[in-house]
Amino acid sequence: MAGGIDVILQVLIWGLYAGCIYILLAIGLNLIFGVMKVVNFAHGELLMLGAYITFTFYALSGFNPYVLLAASVPTLILAGIIIERLCFRPILGTGKLNEIFISIGLIYIIQNAAALIWTDEWRIIHSPYEKITISIFGVNMPLDYLIIIITTILILIALYFFLRKTRLGKAMRATSQNRKGAMLMGINVERMDMLSFGIGAGLAGAAGTLWVVSGQVFNPYMGSIPAIKAFAIVIIGGLGSIPGAIIGGLILGIAENFAIFTLGGAWKDAVSFIILILVLIIRPTGIFGESAE
Amino acid sequence: MKKEFLVICLLCIGFALFAGCTEQQAATDELKIGVVASMTGPASTTGKDIWQSAVLAADEINADGGVYVTDLGKKIPIRLIQGDDESTREGGQKAVSRLITQDNVNFLVGGFSSAVVSAHQSIVAEHTVPYIISGASSSAVSRRTDIDTSTMFFHRPNAEDSAEAIMLFIDREMRPAINDKFGFSADRPLRLAIIYQDTSFGTGQRDAVHNHIKNYNLPIEVVAEASFKMGESDFRTALTSIKAANPDAVYTVTFLNELVPLIQQGRRDVGLDTIFFAIECNDDPDFYKGVGTYGEYMMLQSRFSPYAAPKETESAHTAFIQNFDNRWNGFPGMMGVATYEAVFIGAQAVENAGTLNKDAVRDALNDLEIPQMIEVMKDGTIVFSDDFRESKFDLYLAQLKWDQDAGETRPVIVWPDSLKETDFVLPDWYTPGQG
Repeated sequence: MAGGIDVILQVLIWGLYAGCIYILLAIGLNLIFGVMKVVNFAHGELLMLGAYITFTFYALSGFNPYVLLAASVPTLILAGIIIERLCFRPILGTGKLNEIFISIGLIYIIQNAAALIWTDEWRIIHSPYEKITISIFGVNMPLDYLIIIITTILILIALYFFLRKTRLGKAMRATSQNRKGAMLMGINVERMDMLSFGIGAGLAGAAGTLWVVSGQVFNPYMGSIPAIKAFAIVIIGGLGSIPGAIIGGLILGIAENFAIFTLGGAWKDAVSFIILILVLIIRPTGIFGESAE
Repeated sequence: MKKEFLVICLLCIGFALFAGCTEQQAATDELKIGVVASMTGPASTTGKDIWQSAVLAADEINADGGVYVTDLGKKIPIRLIQGDDESTREGGQKAVSRLITQDNVNFLVGGFSSAVVSAHQSIVAEHTVPYIISGASSSAVSRRTDIDTSTMFFHRPNAEDSAEAIMLFIDREMRPAINDKFGFSADRPLRLAIIYQDTSFGTGQRDAVHNHIKNYNLPIEVVAEASFKMGESDFRTALTSIKAANPDAVYTVTFLNELVPLIQQGRRDVGLDTIFFAIECNDDPDFYKGVGTYGEYMMLQSRFSPYAAPKETESAHTAFIQNFDNRWNGFPGMMGVATYEAVFIGAQAVENAGTLNKDAVRDALNDLEIPQMIEVMKDGTIVFSDDFRESKFDLYLAQLKWDQDAGETRPVIVWPDSLKETDFVLPDWYTPGQG
């Protein structure tokens, strides 16, 4: 393995990019779990849907793919609301096994629907900025990666303000902290479930758009590995903890890329689970997890 | 109770007898060929190519009346049965098992991924079904000794053949061109990096490269190696580590869905201004469409291209492309033509055997010697070697050049001399490696 400081910085940048995708996925998962106490195993398929929605709008309109976040996010929010209403609400409280089977079933339904609509073939789209590189600390970086990192930060800031400063956001947080208490205070908890699932799906959709815009290929089966990693991040960061998801996503993205750089590509996925096991041994509730969880 | 039990037993025996009768009838009415292709999963683009080309071959043979079987005294039509391996080992085992035990195919064609094929070889060996494999380049598949591969025939170059073609080109053409252009000494070794899929396909090619360098004492130094999981789409870090080693060229061992993002990320994101080499399974219209301008000047080792025809088989090549386009409204890839030929090879073997008996068909395949069809073969003949039942191709290397009219790159054959259309070119943006 050869490399100087500029090579290390470059690997760090790739890790930050990967971390952005994982952060958006994991926060979505955490939101859903935090409010509904439901683990959505089909979360990776929502990332995949976000990718395909972006591709479809791009093929139809030719618009800048970054602008198409304004299409993919609302579409996925709507999809999330529909999924919550039709699939999870009827079985909520009937047992964890039912929730697990519903979300596993959704995986196959969404994958096969996507394969039927868009076919199995892999797709790729090109960013309008793909030929532009900028220099940061002496390291050449494609402009797209800077845009992706900035976009992720903006989404997180928007989410922060929503959860902290808006009535709806506070109601969601109240529901996640104490569902019965929230009900007693007049909060419509079922509406909060719908909202949290919708926003969670929207975040997965945003991750899908950013995935596509970075020039990675996508197909109907791409969601399973990122979803598994999102679960690992949620556990590493702490169940229900949004700061934990951010730190966990960054740790994982950077660790994976340094594992590829030092040990080889075969270690890329293994390192996620090594970190997960280490965190579970040292701090079972996760970095920011609460012991009550 | 005893009466009921007796009735049930009689019914079961009756069903078994009837089932046997139906099977017997189907076996003589048609020649059933199982096509093992990845219709779903990451390799589905190639799988579709394989299936469509097999259908084209079957249609052409059936248009001529079918396959003549001496034992039956008549021509029988081909019926293709699709076996979707789902681009996975388990999927391949399931598909092949069904094709053999339920569909009772007379022989199999296809097989793309070495990892997937090696997982179901034991099923084929157990049932001694002839299998003409048009992919699976790893020698670990064709030269394995733990199972009986005597019914498996490999109509594809193996990893050693591909690596040999590329290494010879690098030594005889590329290295002197670099040394000459940049004023390096004539004996400067070429600095090669290898990025490969972490499967038997990838490691087979990587090992073949090392073997050729060592066995022929070539002035080529492998300065970096990086592996990735099958289906990977983010190669940036691996390419960054390769760039850090300053190679003169990068040898890639990938599937089509991996090569496109790899080349784009290498040239665009990581800034690797080098010559990439890719192997034949990527010679597909979707590659030219997907890679865009980033593929310009890269090298493709091939035996069939939808856009380049060796002079020796030009008319057959053109006819095949035309027929495929008419049938499927698109162009075929390399894996497609290999499977197309495999169907004809199998049909010819059945005619030579004069029977549908699998052992006789296998023996006929062993003895088969027919003129080349579309792919250029050594000595112009399709014949399977005595040792490992591998056919021998005249492989070529093409360099991709931008075609303004097509809005895509197009291959131009630059090696060997017998098939060459133009000279190899080092582009202006090319940066050689440094020690």
